Amino acid sequence: MIEIESKPWHTMVLHAERTYPKECCGAMLGYMRGEEKVVTDAVPLENSYDGSQGARYELRPEDLLAADKAARARGLDLIGIFHSHPDCDAYFSKTDLQNSCPWYSFVVLSIQNGKFDHANSFLPDADQSRADSEELKWQKS
Amino acid sequence: MAKILIPTALRQFTEQKDSVEVDGGTVADVLHQLTAQYPNIKKNLFTDQGKLRSFINIYVNDEDIRYLDKDATKLEGNETLSIVPSIAGGAIAVAEPETAALSNEEIARYSRHLILPEVGMEGQLQLKRAKVALIGAGGLGAPLGLYLAAAGVGRIGVVDFDVVDASNLQRQVIHGTHDIGRKKLDSAGDRMRDINPNVRIDKFEVGLSSENALEILKDYDMVIDGTDNFPTRYLVNDACVLLKKPNVYGSIFRFEGQATVFAYEDGPCYRCLYPEPPPPGLVPSCAEGGVLGILPGIIGLIQATEAVKLILGVGDTLKGRLLLYDALGMRFRELKLRRDPDCPVCGDHPTVTKLIDYQEFCGLRSAPPPPVQAEGVIDPQEVKRKLDRGDDFLLVDVREPHEFQIARIPGSKLIPLGELPKRLNELNTDADIVAHCKSGARSQKAVDLLKQNGFKHVRNMTGGILAWSDKVDPSVPKY
Repeated sequence: MIEIESKPWHTMVLHAERTYPKECCGAMLGYMRGEEKVVTDAVPLENSYDGSQGARYELRPEDLLAADKAARARGLDLIGIFHSHPDCDAYFSKTDLQNSCPWYSFVVLSIQNGKFDHANSFLPDADQSRADSEELKWQKS
Repeated sequence: MAKILIPTALRQFTEQKDSVEVDGGTVADVLHQLTAQYPNIKKNLFTDQGKLRSFINIYVNDEDIRYLDKDATKLEGNETLSIVPSIAGGAIAVAEPETAALSNEEIARYSRHLILPEVGMEGQLQLKRAKVALIGAGGLGAPLGLYLAAAGVGRIGVVDFDVVDASNLQRQVIHGTHDIGRKKLDSAGDRMRDINPNVRIDKFEVGLSSENALEILKDYDMVIDGTDNFPTRYLVNDACVLLKKPNVYGSIFRFEGQATVFAYEDGPCYRCLYPEPPPPGLVPSCAEGGVLGILPGIIGLIQATEAVKLILGVGDTLKGRLLLYDALGMRFRELKLRRDPDCPVCGDHPTVTKLIDYQEFCGLRSAPPPPVQAEGVIDPQEVKRKLDRGDDFLLVDVREPHEFQIARIPGSKLIPLGELPKRLNELNTDADIVAHCKSGARSQKAVDLLKQNGFKHVRNMTGGILAWSDKVDPSVPKY
């Protein structure tokens, strides 16, 4: 289970809506509460995909490293990655799967007509062959 | 000693340490030391062939080793190493390969399917790869959406532009009371995703039309018709024939329903059965004629069963058979259907080779607009004032007795439209008469009839009892 607090959730939705109709991406920082992941901070990152970003995103490893450092400096961990699917369901696409990493939760936000519609979280495996869905909760502000 | 920062998810292999210090002269040495110390971390970082996994980047301080000497990069002993994955993605796959496997979560979810030899792993993967277009998220669309999502149909395109109304809830079980006023697409989408988050739902918030039908439907393997009007039914049929996609058909009325599969292999299409639509107004819609709430559940699930059988390629489909269901008699009957070689769409020499104007085809465009009669009408507020003033007039309700039981205007006299001709003697031709019904159509007929019979002061209350509820007395229920 991954639970996103209201402040980071607001940041993620706002980033996704503002980046629409392009895909946005970012990092989620937080901590483990037993088996649960709790997201306390969201860091919007630049989509560095070289090409049309309407349906693609790419994270720079340097940005991810910086986010990881920022998390550690605050006593938090990098626990997830989020990105948006403009005018498309929040499913985990083949492209998502083939460029994923099994260590993080992948939260996908569906933005329809510029407005947040729904979201899902996924846990890909190490072989990038499949992703299990993960229970996702968020706190509305 | 070099310090390796351990990502959160890998700390389960490092006794929960967030960093590990190891000795080594190169990056390769250090990683080797790490995996020697914590063997379980190895498969997360390296493939079975011992290569660093493709999504992993190793940083020495702030430098990616790809731009240094790769894993031969030398270390002095005071560096910090970070394990940073490459992450990318996107809504649309460059080339979406066939779904190769089910996740453990899916295997658990579909276990009762997987142990059926007729479905099994291969069949469940076929369901996952299947793309089904569902026209309408109403009476038939509700059970269809619920069960197709639950069954694991991978992609479901839903076409609907309606919002949930209180009068839908008696049968459209995909929507709940708290969904009233929401778009049916959103309400149905949430419910389907709740049942099965593995399903991809494509929402089309449009009315299916000759302009958009081929474009919308071309990406799907089959079309399920959950609509209740003739223009869309002919449109869906013709589009399916043109696109060579099966049309899983169902229709409902009051206590009876029908289902079959049209435009499948060498079977007939809807036009082979009904070459021409009925004259407008002859066959009432469910909104006009009513429908037993459970009926669309039965018919929709027959459609869902046929859709799943088509996907799996098992059993005998309803191709060439029209299944008739009568809820009151609780009987199923079957009619044989054959493809008509002279069918204008699917026959040997088709004359309809592209989509046409289906409103016109069904005679709806050419129907004359109801005559506007500024004279002879009265609005509900004025009727209320007449009642309050105690004017001497008669308010005649021309609806049916069962409608009168649902809602009535106090002081009105019930004479159903059908009985009016033989009950004219109950009325005075000189009296001030106002007629009303549910929405104003039947009472207009009553007004016309009364005028033809010499009644001098007859008016129709505009908008009927629905308008009365809106404008005068909200405590009168709408139905």
